Formats: sequence, C-alpha cells, structure tokens
Amino acid sequence: MEFFLEISLNAIGFLVGIIIGIISYIGFKNTGSPTLFRLSIAFFAIGIGFGILAGGFILDDIIFETGDINTGISMLGIASQVIGYWFIAFSHTIKTFFPKSRYLRSIGALPLFLVSFSYVETILRAVSFILLVYGAIETMISYIQGRKKTTLFVAIGLGLLGFGEFIGWYSFVFPETVLYVVSIIIKIGGLISIGIPVSKIPLRKITFDENL
Amino acid sequence: MAGNRTQIKIVGEILDTTMREIDEQEGATVTHIIKNANISHGRLSRILSNLVSQGLLEQVNSKRSCRYKISSSGREFLSAYKTFREFSDDFGLNI
Repeated sequence: MEFFLEISLNAIGFLVGIIIGIISYIGFKNTGSPTLFRLSIAFFAIGIGFGILAGGFILDDIIFETGDINTGISMLGIASQVIGYWFIAFSHTIKTFFPKSRYLRSIGALPLFLVSFSYVETILRAVSFILLVYGAIETMISYIQGRKKTTLFVAIGLGLLGFGEFIGWYSFVFPETVLYVVSIIIKIGGLISIGIPVSKIPLRKITFDENL
Repeated sequence: MAGNRTQIKIVGEILDTTMREIDEQEGATVTHIIKNANISHGRLSRILSNLVSQGLLEQVNSKRSCRYKISSSGREFLSAYKTFREFSDDFGLNI
C-alpha cells in the first residue's frame, strides 16, 4: 500500500512539475521574463526530482526487490526537488535575506561538510521544508494583496507539501503508524492544488515566436 | 508591498496603452504613453525605439506629432504577456 502510494505521489509530482515547467518555459520564450525562467527551472527540477524517486521505487519493485528505495537514488531525487524549491523561494526575493559578507556566505555552506554523509538526506528534507514554508507564506501574502483564488490554491499546495514533509518526520519517530500514509496523501493533495492554475491557461492561444 | 516595475511590465503597459488608444488608426502620442505608462521621457524614447526595431510597434508620422501604433506582432506579444502575467500572479510572483 505504502509503496503504491509512493509511486503514485512521485508520478503525480513528476507530471505536475514537468507540465508547469513547460508552460513557464513557453512563457519565458514568449515574453523573455526572468521570473518565468526561474519558475521553469524550479518546476523542471521539482518534476525531475519526483521522476527520479518514482523511477527508484519502480526499479526496486521490479529488479532489486529490497522493499525500499536505493539511498543514492533517493538523495538525488530529493536534491533535485530542493533545487526547485530554492528557485521558488529565490523568486520571492529570498536573496534579500542572504548575508552580505563574502565570509558569511562562504561559511554558510560549511555545515554540509561537517556532518556525516548519511545525514545529508535529512538535511535536504529539512531545507525543503523551510523553503516550502517560506514559499507558502510569501504566496499567501500575495493572495491577501491580490485576492486571486488560484494564488490561494498555490499557497495551500506549497503549504500542504511542507506539512506532508513535517508529518513524514513523525513517521520516523512513530513507525508502523498511519502517519506515513497520511503524509503521502497530504503531499498528493498539495501537488494537485499547485497544478490548478495550469488548468486556467488557454494553451491553444500560446504560440512560440522566435523573433521576440 | 509594490516593488519596482520590471522592464517587461513597462513594455506591457506601453503596448497596452497603444492598444487601448481611442484613435487606433492614428496611434498614441508620446505624451499619452508617458501619462498612461507612468514613465520618464528619456526612458520611454529608448524603449520605444527598441520596440519599433523589434516590430512590436509601428511609428506613424502625422502632421502634428510622432505617434506609435501597435503591430500584429505587438498584439500577439501583448496577448502572451497578459496570459503569463496571470500565470505568474497565480504563483504570487511578478512577471
């Protein structure tokens, strides 16, 4: 059951990520907007991340049959998602909160080299959670300012992905409980919610114009 | 909090002004565009010459003043811009 849900979640994540990435890229090609370029990188990275995880689960199910995804594949998928979440957060001008000094920027990456390799996945998940919460808050602020329903769906979607990640941590503390399944279902809900704005795009009207 | 307008947003507002111009055949005057797009004359001149060279605007020289009319490429661009402005708004971002 959990394995099936994991594959479903990652397949939906792959589809939603790639579709939003393609639409953002078409938008970038048509308008030259850097925001849409960042958004396309973000969602391609998120989609690829989910795709890698789905591939990992399917590979294990068909070939390895260990009952769990390979750690290397899992880390690669999560790292790709973190890049995507970072670009979403970056688009919300996260750069204003970065330390100005070059010294502080250089030591900002130091903790990654001080911890054991086995903790990298946990760190990446924690970073994902922080970026998702930041993205959800910023998008919610945008909704409060503009009162656009689709913005609310995106904010809820990012929030649900973050909440799903949070619930997922508790499943490590309380294994063999319903928490893990609940976290996956929450994440699927989040992805569907993020995908809602895409349905509003009149795809037939979008054209490529290489001269623009 | 409304931040600074991006270049693409200013271009969108300029094209929108020329599109909404009542006397579409004659085009919009520079003064009219300055007033509607809320932009300085110096910056507008640079953007206008860029838009004309890219084929998004057409320059119409009438007897009294230099006017600008939106081209068919400009209309297509404006339509795409509006679609993707909505799209980026959905993500709480400015295009």
